[in-house]
Amino acid sequence: MPEIKTQDFSAASIAAINDPKLRRALDRVASGFEVARLDRVAEATPEVWEDWRQQARDIKAHTIEHLDYYLDLLYTNVTAAGGHLHFAKDANQANEIVAHIAQTRGVKVATKSKSMVSEELGLNPVLEAVGVEVWETDLGEYIIQLAEETPSHLVAPALHKSKEDVAELFSEKLGIPYDEDIYHMAATAREVLRDKFMEADLGISGANFVVAETGTLVIITNEGNGRLSTSAPRIHIGITGMEKVIPSMQDLSIFLRLLPQSATGQRITSYVSMTTGPRRFDDEDGPEEFHLVLVDNGRSKMLADPALREALYCIRCGACLNICPIYARIGGHAYGWVYPGPIGAVVSPMLVGLKRAKELPQASSLCGACREVCPIKIDIPRMLLDLRKKTAESPDSNLRSAPWIEGFLARFYARLMSGPKLLGMAVRFGRLLQKAERIIPFFSPMTKDGEWIKKAPLPPLSKWTRSRDLPTLPKQTFHDIWNKELSRDDS
Amino acid sequence: MTHKASISVDLYVTCIIDQLYPKVGVSVVRVLRRLGVTVGFPKDQTCCGQPVYNTGFTKQASTLAKRVLEQFQDSEYVVVPSGSCAATLRVFYLELFADDPDLLTQAKALAAKTYEFSEFLVNVLKVEDASDCGVARQGTATYHPSCHLMRELGVKTEPKKLLSTVPGLEEKPLEGAEICCGFGGTFSVKFPHISEGMVADKIANVQASGAETLVACDMSCLMNMAGALNRQGSDIKVRHLAQILDSESD
Amino acid sequence: MTPDSLDSLGVPKAEFLASVRQALGREDVPPAQLYPRLADTLAELEDQASQIRRRLEENLAALLDKLADMAAKGGWNVHRAAGTEEAVGYIESIVRDSGATNVVRSAQDVFNQVPVDSALTNLGAKVTVVLRDDETPREVLREEIRQSGVGITGADYALAETGSLVILPRKGLSRLVSLVPPVHIALVRAQDLLDTLDDLFLLRRLEYHQRDGEMGSYLNFITGPSRTADIEMTIVEGVHGPKEVHMVILG
Repeated sequence: MPEIKTQDFSAASIAAINDPKLRRALDRVASGFEVARLDRVAEATPEVWEDWRQQARDIKAHTIEHLDYYLDLLYTNVTAAGGHLHFAKDANQANEIVAHIAQTRGVKVATKSKSMVSEELGLNPVLEAVGVEVWETDLGEYIIQLAEETPSHLVAPALHKSKEDVAELFSEKLGIPYDEDIYHMAATAREVLRDKFMEADLGISGANFVVAETGTLVIITNEGNGRLSTSAPRIHIGITGMEKVIPSMQDLSIFLRLLPQSATGQRITSYVSMTTGPRRFDDEDGPEEFHLVLVDNGRSKMLADPALREALYCIRCGACLNICPIYARIGGHAYGWVYPGPIGAVVSPMLVGLKRAKELPQASSLCGACREVCPIKIDIPRMLLDLRKKTAESPDSNLRSAPWIEGFLARFYARLMSGPKLLGMAVRFGRLLQKAERIIPFFSPMTKDGEWIKKAPLPPLSKWTRSRDLPTLPKQTFHDIWNKELSRDDS
Repeated sequence: MTHKASISVDLYVTCIIDQLYPKVGVSVVRVLRRLGVTVGFPKDQTCCGQPVYNTGFTKQASTLAKRVLEQFQDSEYVVVPSGSCAATLRVFYLELFADDPDLLTQAKALAAKTYEFSEFLVNVLKVEDASDCGVARQGTATYHPSCHLMRELGVKTEPKKLLSTVPGLEEKPLEGAEICCGFGGTFSVKFPHISEGMVADKIANVQASGAETLVACDMSCLMNMAGALNRQGSDIKVRHLAQILDSESD
Repeated sequence: MTPDSLDSLGVPKAEFLASVRQALGREDVPPAQLYPRLADTLAELEDQASQIRRRLEENLAALLDKLADMAAKGGWNVHRAAGTEEAVGYIESIVRDSGATNVVRSAQDVFNQVPVDSALTNLGAKVTVVLRDDETPREVLREEIRQSGVGITGADYALAETGSLVILPRKGLSRLVSLVPPVHIALVRAQDLLDTLDDLFLLRRLEYHQRDGEMGSYLNFITGPSRTADIEMTIVEGVHGPKEVHMVILG
């Protein structure tokens, strides 16, 4: 598995916010994908779009509730088509399977089209260790492979890089003259990778969907590298999470509408490629062997928890990232592991351990915009609340990891609010402090009119006053006013 | 222009209005009375529990929620001048008590009669036009739709209907209106660097709208935005919708 | 055909499924209600297919227009040819403009109806039909494809809903002809037309069930040129796939 940095979320997000280049890059994303998505929703009409979403959710819900049944059906049909389906319980096992196939088939060169799950597994170093040259061929993945970085977005992995960054990278790693022209850089990638596609013994892809009815693997792509990786080499290995299965090929119509339109706002991607087993004996070309590796790697934990099960409905479109105001400020790397954004704030803790990633579900204002744009109507805010509840109160000490002070403050707050008397006392005390402060302003500078506090002395309020003024306690509460003047009821 | 004069509501004023913005509560009462509603105020009320619920401390949230269930069990209507608190009573209590049949029944009963202030005016009192409130204003205002109000309660058109029919008040559109203001309760102090950036963007849009007044239905959002506006030395007035509709409020 | 046993790789199916079942808390039984689409009988699929055909016949002209419109929106250069001569003419001029001296094409029967070879050889281009026989091994054909400037195919389907060409690679239809050369020309006839994605998948499932679980190894939708927006969200065409795609619609 790739390095886990979820525990550094606070520091990483602060660094990200202070990076103006990243901000510019993120601004481009927000205005690009989401605007186009809205065009698609309008074109379909909101009523039709809502209907599609509900259909998609119903399909996913049914499938996940009966996941074993559909995995069994998938196995039967992949095998009947001449392919091999391998079940991997965790990342190590998945990597072993792929490495074994590579070694026993004498694989020297492998081309990869985009696969987030392969990032999750940390597959590339394992293959390299057994002597396989691995080439990422999706332009964004190729860029970050050269840069030795991880993807920062589900759909556009290198969006945090400016064209100057890429030009410098190409110049350094490929030994070519520095050239910022985006068209030239894409052409360079095409040239470099052309031969690799044809030379490769092994093509590795992810899967957007795997169809139980027919044993078919489906990828939706734009660049052509997905087609090349699944057509040119003699072996094709598809790797994906076990939750990607759908019952019938007929179900693809709904998903092929929702996924591209939600992800990039395209009506459909340039290519949709569907593999059902290896090539048939008289096909002109195509791989001789087809393998599908289905990975658990912690997904059964989400499966086992009814509050979190719907995280498995995700089709990885990235729409939630594109709308999220938190992602828009901090980008993908701050999340510290493979899956960023709102869905990442649920999936990463479940896969790497909630204790280690406990800040991720906390770093949300629960605005709900993600749920609104999700094509599968996944209720991400509910799941974030559930993870917060586990962090605060779970009987399982592996999950419960809220700092002691938070528990104390929660209990204190509940006590304070348990009756107007105690609350009244606290408020009167607060007003006293304010009065004292006005006479001897030593720790909480206020404005002249006494309406605002400029700087509170202690956290949490001091965190507020870093950038915002805090209102002072007024002379009366609403309770006081009600009792004095309002309680008579003259309508 | 007749409204159901026999309606009687209990006000759940919310702890933030009670402690920090009591004038808003006063405006709510005045507007409701103007519209012929009898207003009660269960005096033992404090906090709905949202801050502890949102941080995962559901045990403490239950303690506070049970108080609300009890205090409002005999109410005909419960009116809440806050989208997030109304959502807590109407939506989140159902989840909080999902595993306790008795409390769940009570929570459902409460949910059935709980309304956010603007939706109560439009959907129950059938106010078509804000002039029914006897108010007239001048100048310009822009409206920020708070997240829970919009997305948990589905209240989108009611505040605008009221605001846009205030005689003399010109409404200015707000760019990026539906983007969160960055408050999010404890989020604002747990992740201040992120929250600051969100409110900075929001008030930049408010300032760009050219409006003299910023209006919303949630004092939590308004406290956040007002705090940022004031820090910047802005003159923009910040008002709860109830204050706009209250002819005795400035 | 595979060199060794793969049985020991990964978790045995029974064990894996058992752990999924345990997570779900369910028994080893099929869903209480069989998924409607999986319960479709061959007769039902055939019936739906004839309904699709009927609708196509009734709306042919409108659907052809829709295909042309959506294909253009999707990035195809669309040419409508009234007859075979016009179609050949379009193909000829596209090849000429590309400057290609090497053309590869599939061996589909549309080329019996629309004879492009002589027109292209008259231009001075070499035309290779990518169809393996005893004399031509795969490697030779692959090299031809790599060297070519234009790839020409027919269509198995053309979807009006999305403006997509759909091809089913098989004998005589290479996966690479529409992918490797920088220019791809697709020849579409009225009989290839389908309206929606639902129509396409119904027909594919019909074939799968008619042929006892066989539907060929691959299916590709092509909608426009190859693209990326990976650098600063700027759209660039012709990354790894063709830069230019032309749809010549007969009819």
